[in-house]
Amino acid sequence: MGILTKLYTLLRGVSHDTGQGVVDKNAITILDQEIRDTSTQLNTSRQELAKLMAQSKLSDQKIQARSQKVAEYTRYIEGALAKGDEDLAREVAGKLAPLETEQQADQSAKTHLDRSIGTLKATIHKAEAQVKGLRVQVDTVKATASVQKAQMAIASRTAGATSGMSNALESLERIKQRQLETSARLEASEELDASSGDGDLNRKLAAAGLLEDSSSADAVLARFRKPAQLSHDVPTIIGTVVQDDQVGVPRTTDTP
Amino acid sequence: MSECNTRDLYEQLARRYEGNDQITVQLIDSTDPAINVTMHDHGDMQVQIAASGSQIFVSTVLCDAELVRDRDAFNDACMRINPINPLSNLGLSNFGGRDTYIVFGELSASSCADDVDEELQALAINTIDAAETLKSHFTGS
Repeated sequence: MGILTKLYTLLRGVSHDTGQGVVDKNAITILDQEIRDTSTQLNTSRQELAKLMAQSKLSDQKIQARSQKVAEYTRYIEGALAKGDEDLAREVAGKLAPLETEQQADQSAKTHLDRSIGTLKATIHKAEAQVKGLRVQVDTVKATASVQKAQMAIASRTAGATSGMSNALESLERIKQRQLETSARLEASEELDASSGDGDLNRKLAAAGLLEDSSSADAVLARFRKPAQLSHDVPTIIGTVVQDDQVGVPRTTDTP
Repeated sequence: MSECNTRDLYEQLARRYEGNDQITVQLIDSTDPAINVTMHDHGDMQVQIAASGSQIFVSTVLCDAELVRDRDAFNDACMRINPINPLSNLGLSNFGGRDTYIVFGELSASSCADDVDEELQALAINTIDAAETLKSHFTGS
């Protein structure tokens, strides 16, 4: 069974077991065991490789030595044949023949050995990658477990009635609520902006005592009194304001 | 491969977000410490971070599975959204016996605070996007 299958099986089992939801120590135990098993295999493979490489080296030396012997015998045969000594040549050839047979057998054995070495090296490389992958998986499981524990701790702290856990739906709701508030605030401030020119002016006019509230009792009374007071009252008010505001101050200072 | 632990990462993030009123960083200290990040400009979303050996795991809760009307249809939708959700993954976890959908990302432990910040921002945006996209699957919607 692959390691992921084991972990998945474990998680499925765990998910039905209430209160044990976190990727727990079992997952780490499984992974640690897997790492140990793979590491053991790796060591065995490395020892095997060392053995095969030693054999290959020895075999190589043997083949080298024999090929010198073969070259030597070849030279003897050539020499004997050059001298016309057929019998001597035959005698040496009799020694060369088994040597050549052995050489062929050893060479084919060495080819086989070298192929095994290649395969074993690939296997070791794969196992090393596997151990590395398993270590990363342990890190993932550990980090996931820490985060899950934190999430559970936060959930129990903010113990909500419905789901306990603060979730993205609530965040989305809050964002929308805030967007509504912001746009309402913007609208309100736009309205204020639009009327603020008048507002300022009105404030100034009111401060100057010029802003008449047409609906107030005073204003109504004033309307009734208007014909009688029109002659001096209204100009006097305006005159006073203008004098106070603009002309009045310099004039009083100018007056000796 | 440089190793990183949660407490160191917390120190880095606390420095990174000092004076930033959009993000609150908090260390949840236990035998397995984790960092709780509250992202105020993303609807107060809470994101949890833990570092272990070669990896930094960043995760937030999408929703409790009980809020999902049709789990099969929802799972199908999640599987389809996942490949087009840049840098974040949708997953199903179990917290204290409750199936919970999460959105998560993983970083190399050699990542700096800026990388984690980028991951946090991406995760928050992706999570809100996913919640918006999957809205029709939730009860009460």
